Amino acid sequence: MLSIKNLKASVEDKAILNGIDLEVGAGEVHAIMGPNGSGKSTLAGVLAGREGYDITDGSVTYRGMDLLDMDPEIRAREGVFLAFQYPVEIPGVTNMYLLKAAVNAVRKHRGEAELDAMDFLKLIKEKAALVEMKQEFLYRSVNEGFSGGEKKRNEILQMALLEPTLSILDETDSGLDIDALRVVAEGVNKLRSPDRAIVVVTHYQRLLDYIVPDRVHVLAGGRIIQSGGKELAQELEQKGYGWIEDQAAA
Amino acid sequence: MNDIVSRYLEQFVAAGPDAGAAPPWLREQRDAAMAQLRKHGFPGPRDEDWRYTPLKPLAGKAWETAATGAADIGGIDDRLIAGLDSHRLVFIDGVFSSDLSTTALAQEGISVRPLSVVLREDAGALPDTIRGGIDARDGFQALNIAFARDGYVVDIASDSKPDKTLECLFIAATAGKAGQTRNVVRLGEHASASLVERHVSLDGVDALVNCGSRLLLGAGSSLDYHLVQTMDSGVNMISDTEADLGADATLRILTATLGGAVVRNNLQVRLNAPGGHCDMLGLYAATGRQHVDNHTGVIHVAPHCTSRELYKGVLDQRARGVFHGRIRVDRGAQKTDATQANNNLLLSANAEIDTKPQLEIYADDVKCAHGATVGQLDETALFYLRSRGISADDARSLLTFAFVNEVLSEIGVDALAEYLGEGLARRLIQHG
Ligand SMILES: Nc1ncnc2c1ncn2[C@@H]1O[C@H](COP(=O)(O)OP(=O)(O)OP(=O)(O)O)[C@@H](O)[C@H]1O
Ligand SMILES: [Mg+2]
Repeated sequence: MLSIKNLKASVEDKAILNGIDLEVGAGEVHAIMGPNGSGKSTLAGVLAGREGYDITDGSVTYRGMDLLDMDPEIRAREGVFLAFQYPVEIPGVTNMYLLKAAVNAVRKHRGEAELDAMDFLKLIKEKAALVEMKQEFLYRSVNEGFSGGEKKRNEILQMALLEPTLSILDETDSGLDIDALRVVAEGVNKLRSPDRAIVVVTHYQRLLDYIVPDRVHVLAGGRIIQSGGKELAQELEQKGYGWIEDQAAA
Repeated sequence: MNDIVSRYLEQFVAAGPDAGAAPPWLREQRDAAMAQLRKHGFPGPRDEDWRYTPLKPLAGKAWETAATGAADIGGIDDRLIAGLDSHRLVFIDGVFSSDLSTTALAQEGISVRPLSVVLREDAGALPDTIRGGIDARDGFQALNIAFARDGYVVDIASDSKPDKTLECLFIAATAGKAGQTRNVVRLGEHASASLVERHVSLDGVDALVNCGSRLLLGAGSSLDYHLVQTMDSGVNMISDTEADLGADATLRILTATLGGAVVRNNLQVRLNAPGGHCDMLGLYAATGRQHVDNHTGVIHVAPHCTSRELYKGVLDQRARGVFHGRIRVDRGAQKTDATQANNNLLLSANAEIDTKPQLEIYADDVKCAHGATVGQLDETALFYLRSRGISADDARSLLTFAFVNEVLSEIGVDALAEYLGEGLARRLIQHG
């Protein structure tokens, strides 16, 4: 589904990604862990099409398409979804409006009819219930004045609505209380299916108890320096990153 | 520009003394205004009040004031606001058209009439403030007083309220003409009304609109007043609105400028007695080479009054905006609470805004806050929207709309808010 080869990216001549290789197959869940500042969000941003990065080398293929060549909105319509580490506040645009515009943009791209107000309302209520979000949040400005946890929950609501083929969750678990963590994990697990893939960026093994990954990768210094099964996450939790970084350096 | 003034003088003489229709006080006013214009001429670029606004389009030509008898423009159906059920007076080039207006109101305590009719039949009914001597603020106001023969006169008796929105629709239809109108709105004690003054034009017309309104709010009255301009890019406009509020009166005034070439809106609100409140809302969207200048002032004469001003503008391409917001708090106006905000969104590197507050505070126990911002669309928010499948163009228009929505959402006439929202979208979202 997703094939990243020797991806290098820099910001203002500062190299941040230094040759990433990653293969994510359909039906798989991959976890990416790694120290602060190692390039995890940069990788997520590059995949979603955020501007401001120079891609200096490498390629990213998504379902046979050259992902880096696509506008962010086309990536989204083709099923790529990024749950932001820091969801953006948009005063004056209601959550409801954003969600409807997003759903209909994706539907239109797929050649499906746009949802009318009634059908959309039904759908949104169902999904809001799924992520246990109160309806009043639908009528508020996007993320404005939302608590940290509420923002993350809102990301998952968007994901649940858009039903992406490739979901990238950038620290969606950070700042969540235990109940919210469970809700988010359930939302993600509902999406798991043989034709979808999920990449979760996290600092905590705890999330991976709920969303059990097929593969765990350690990103450090803009490279994936170690990959393994779900037990790697447990090892990291106990030992930190130092030992792998030493190994990689050796 | 002296040459222009003498051409106006010729027109003034040629138009004659209204064939005896004008009451003596009005003839005096006109003569005095014309004399003032001859003496002082039009403002020049050295005038502090006109530093940022080009005068040539406004004063570089002697526009002809339309004579009586409105030009025939066919219908006006395509110029109406969908869903706005209004009682409507229509003016073409500043001349009342009874054919295009709705029939007279038959509601007790409510009088909505063209100035030309009032002058002919009932000039004594005009308030003293209109009939007295008038010292024109500048050459444009002098021109208006000298030439205006029509406009609207709205009188709402005490405790009365029109059962519909009142709408005065001005259509600039003829090239080279000046639509010059004088309007009066008077609310008795505890009266209330909602009025929409609208300026539109036929396509491709170059013309001048020079209009002035006096709003007189009695004690405890409440007026929602909307000055809405959506003209073609060849029409220049000067509007001059003065409001006087009595005790506990409330004025909500919106000045929305979406069209025109060079546009200058003067607004002056005086809070003359305790308990008065005014909301001054402004919305301007300019593109191409449009120039929109809002000069506003609120004068707190009496204590215990509040004023709140919020002007928001979106400027694209080579458009220029000017905002001047004056707040004056007189010595006796203790416990004044005045706020002012002017926020601008520049969609192009070539668009410009000059924004300037002017605070003159002569009382010591007051709250006054003001702030101005100039910014671009938030790139992070744009990316967020695009990452959800929304096209770059749609994302831009959504964010632009969100920016102005703070003002739109305060408009009490829903159909008008919608009309303005759509007009903004049409005007600004022609990117890509
Ligand atoms: N726009 C930018 N300008 C300058 N430096 C940047 C920019 N974006 C990212 N960086 C730098 O790139 C490095 C990687 O940042 P990134 O956000 O990808 O880290 P991360 O692995 O997600 O960290 P965290 O775990 O703290 O979220 C950091 O050193 C960061 O300061
Ligand atoms: Mg990060």
